[in-house]
Amino acid sequence: MTATPTSKDASDARSGQRKRRVGANPERLALFFVLPALALVTIFRIVPLIWGLGYSFTDYNGIAEPNFIGLANYAELARDPAFLDSLVNMLILIATLPIWIALPLVLAILIHQGVPGGKLFRAVYFFPAVLSSVIVGAIFNVLLRYDGSFNAMLKALGFSAVDWLGNSSTALFSLIAVQLWATFGMSLLIFLAGLSTVPSDMLEAAKLDGAKLLQTWWYIVIPSLKPIIEFAAVVTTIGMLTSMFGLIYVLTAGGPGTSTTLPEFLIWLEQGKMNRPGYASAISMVLFLMMAGLAAIQIRIMSKNANLS
Amino acid sequence: MSAVAPRERRILWVIAIPMALLALSAVYPVFFALNAALKSRKEFVLNRFGLASSPTFDNFVQAWTRSRLSDYFVNSVTVTVGAVLLLIIVASLAGYALAVLRFRGSKLVFTIILVSLMIPVQVVLVPFYRTMIALDLVNSRIGLILAYTAFFLPFSVYLMTAFYARLPRELYEAAQIDGASLLQVWWHIMLPMGKPALITLGILNTLYCWNDVLISLLVLQDNRTLMVGIAALRGEYTTNVPLLAAGIVLAAAPIVIIYVVFQRQIVSGIAVGAVKG
Amino acid sequence: MRHAMKHLRAGTILAAALVGTAGFAYAEDVTLTVWDWKSGDPTTAPYFDKVKADFEAAHPGVTVKYVMQPHDQYYTLLGTAISAGQGPDVVLLHGGSQAKERTGALVKLDDAVADIKSRVAGWPEFTGADGSVYAVPISIQGFAVYFNKDLWTKAGLDPAKVPANWAELKADVEALKKAGITPFALGNKEGFGAEFWFSALAANGWTAEQQAAWAKGDLKWSSPEVKAILQAWVDANKDGWFAEGANSTAKFMDEYESFERGENANTIGLISDVAHWKEFDGFLGGDKVGVYVMPPVEGGNGTLKLPLSGGIGYGVTKFSKNPDLAIALAKSFAATPAMQVFFESAGAIPSDTAVDTSKVDSPSAKEILGWLKDGVPLAHANMSTAELEEWHRQSQLLFTGETTVDKAAARLDEVQASSKKK
Repeated sequence: MTATPTSKDASDARSGQRKRRVGANPERLALFFVLPALALVTIFRIVPLIWGLGYSFTDYNGIAEPNFIGLANYAELARDPAFLDSLVNMLILIATLPIWIALPLVLAILIHQGVPGGKLFRAVYFFPAVLSSVIVGAIFNVLLRYDGSFNAMLKALGFSAVDWLGNSSTALFSLIAVQLWATFGMSLLIFLAGLSTVPSDMLEAAKLDGAKLLQTWWYIVIPSLKPIIEFAAVVTTIGMLTSMFGLIYVLTAGGPGTSTTLPEFLIWLEQGKMNRPGYASAISMVLFLMMAGLAAIQIRIMSKNANLS
Repeated sequence: MSAVAPRERRILWVIAIPMALLALSAVYPVFFALNAALKSRKEFVLNRFGLASSPTFDNFVQAWTRSRLSDYFVNSVTVTVGAVLLLIIVASLAGYALAVLRFRGSKLVFTIILVSLMIPVQVVLVPFYRTMIALDLVNSRIGLILAYTAFFLPFSVYLMTAFYARLPRELYEAAQIDGASLLQVWWHIMLPMGKPALITLGILNTLYCWNDVLISLLVLQDNRTLMVGIAALRGEYTTNVPLLAAGIVLAAAPIVIIYVVFQRQIVSGIAVGAVKG
Repeated sequence: MRHAMKHLRAGTILAAALVGTAGFAYAEDVTLTVWDWKSGDPTTAPYFDKVKADFEAAHPGVTVKYVMQPHDQYYTLLGTAISAGQGPDVVLLHGGSQAKERTGALVKLDDAVADIKSRVAGWPEFTGADGSVYAVPISIQGFAVYFNKDLWTKAGLDPAKVPANWAELKADVEALKKAGITPFALGNKEGFGAEFWFSALAANGWTAEQQAAWAKGDLKWSSPEVKAILQAWVDANKDGWFAEGANSTAKFMDEYESFERGENANTIGLISDVAHWKEFDGFLGGDKVGVYVMPPVEGGNGTLKLPLSGGIGYGVTKFSKNPDLAIALAKSFAATPAMQVFFESAGAIPSDTAVDTSKVDSPSAKEILGWLKDGVPLAHANMSTAELEEWHRQSQLLFTGETTVDKAAARLDEVQASSKKK
């Protein structure tokens, strides 16, 4: 892991020196530096998480005192078709991750390499992320509806119209595409920040060696961006699984059937409309575990890279 | 930015065409929102895409006054500025400690922060609200600032840690050897060198705080933030899109301005300059 | 409670007599917080302003504060407030399952509302399993079919002759199709289209006994009278009754907006706190909007009755620090002068039967008002939330062809059985 003290490496000698020079127990000072972050995170996120874990073993309805019911909520989940469908949808969504990374990455590199109009693009690509999903939803509702502009275009080109959002086989992909379009500006920004740490003399050197554009990308730019790419992968995965509610609500409301119901949407449904916080907590815990699992895999790859460098 | 051979420059020109189309598509919603905000509801229903035939500012006036967005605006600014500053300081301190200083238990701390990155807001709504009540932070702007900092911190610490870990060690070790205190190193070296990442964090976190609805809804129940006020403009049955669009344009304008001003500095290449010098 | 009420009433009368005398009735300033999802809506604003002004005038020192919550997060927020035992004094609720499933957090109002019980209608939707009343209804909701008279005439239909039974409706639909006009607007993105369809068809298709059995959860989805409605849903879609793309069209307001643009001839609308007669009149012209009651698939030879129930209403939370005042406020939402404003400004059909509706000149509104005296239950208001949610899903799958009427009914039977157990 980039940030962990795994290495008893070459800098050992130097750090010994550092300790002496800096004086006053630096380790304690370092702990002091992370303390604010640690405290905030523990109080507002970790404690509620454990509290929520407790709710997931109860029949809590938000009104009466919760009764302990063991694993009954989890057993019900295993039989709940809506939940099972939402898991499948989630897996499909995650499978599209490479596109979510590759698109902004390529665009960021192009902008960094000075594509004509790059400065303008950099400013403009971020716009959809600034607008609320309500506006984005309102526009795509009209573009993608059966008698919408997109179908009109398809018909003009000789294809037949598709009910993009009303058809189980296309609704999820339409939703994903809209969300990707609306948020790629964020990852682009992260990649641009990362690119600024790529030493430009490395690029110059490669250039002098006669490396082609794509070769410099592949052998120099992308490897040096690896931690940022992995970071973006983790953040994007989390975003995909936790911040699509707005768009789902406006574009498809989880339907048709359950074809665009993601766990996040189901939590909202059970927690609010159905008034079952206990059951919603159980879904939440499953979602949390899956995200943690996914991230652990991504981080494992990341620490491998960190050790290499 | 590196110089590119003429042939490759031509390739870049060709690539610029689809990129320009994508840029157009990204601008369109802004245009749509502006245009819709200038229409009456009736005109919007009858003609959603056409240009506003008799532009009216009624929606802006209505959103600003009747829907009290002017009051909410102040709240949003206070809370966002407070939270973003706090985030930047706390995250860069933590990133410095985790990526550079390293200490016994830093792996555990990093893991805790990573784990909290995976906790969706929805998952902890009820317990989070009860925690806020227990700490008497409901209906307090300080409470919302702390909550925002806590919710967006894991992401920020992660980015800062990754960013600092990539910086060449010579950049700060020299100063440490020269006998500067850790706090001085942080202030004089780590903060300035972290600029691209910190600006990125600033922009992203501003956006997150500014656009947040759910956390703010729970914490500030009496005196709302802007996005909550706008979210409430969506009625159960009658979403008045022009009014909503007016609210969104008003709310998005500051963010767009901030982004356009600061984005130039993201690629300012401060780290690169330091290496060369 | 009764004692408190008496005390309060005396206070109210005195206060009304002594308006302007500073520092009377309430030594300390009291703020009553009201949660809703409507008070900021320009069309309903005059009503909310009136309730606030009247109440504050009658209770010096008391401030009424409306907090309009985003509708999509309303019940999530209410849930967190309830579970924390801290929040608003008075809350707006949907009648039916949403109110009934939250009675545990609300104050019993039986004694307090005894004096308005006969003047106000719509109580059953706010009555808990224990038979007590938990909220004061402010609107009546029900479903009627609105139609575009111009489009009917274009198809050679007589706008004065509305369909009295299924066969006539079918004939009308055929005529519209022949003229190239889409017969019905339909938005089923959230499943509301199917919800309205269900209640509209059940209204005159079921006997009173069947309605009662349905409310108890004893009438199964797989029974013939319920399956007939599901089958009609599928058949109507196959026969081209509805505008294409129903599954991706929001009922509010995409469906109604397309009706307002004159793109289709009929739509199943509301008569609720969102008065579509008023909305439609504004777009199409009052004399161009017609209205009729949806006939059932079978029977319906007598006069058709409008499906009606309590719409939305105000409850008082158990954790309110000023319960007596809060109860008085909940009641004042149903006071006749305020209800009058509700009706006139928003065109809402108020729960208060004393409201003077004689001055309304919209032909369709007149007709609807005439039907109010004798309604039938609204079937979907008597389903559990879980059933309703599953019906939303199944209705969409019936359209995409991913399920059959039998399979959908079987799945809904399961949900009905499990929600009845709880």
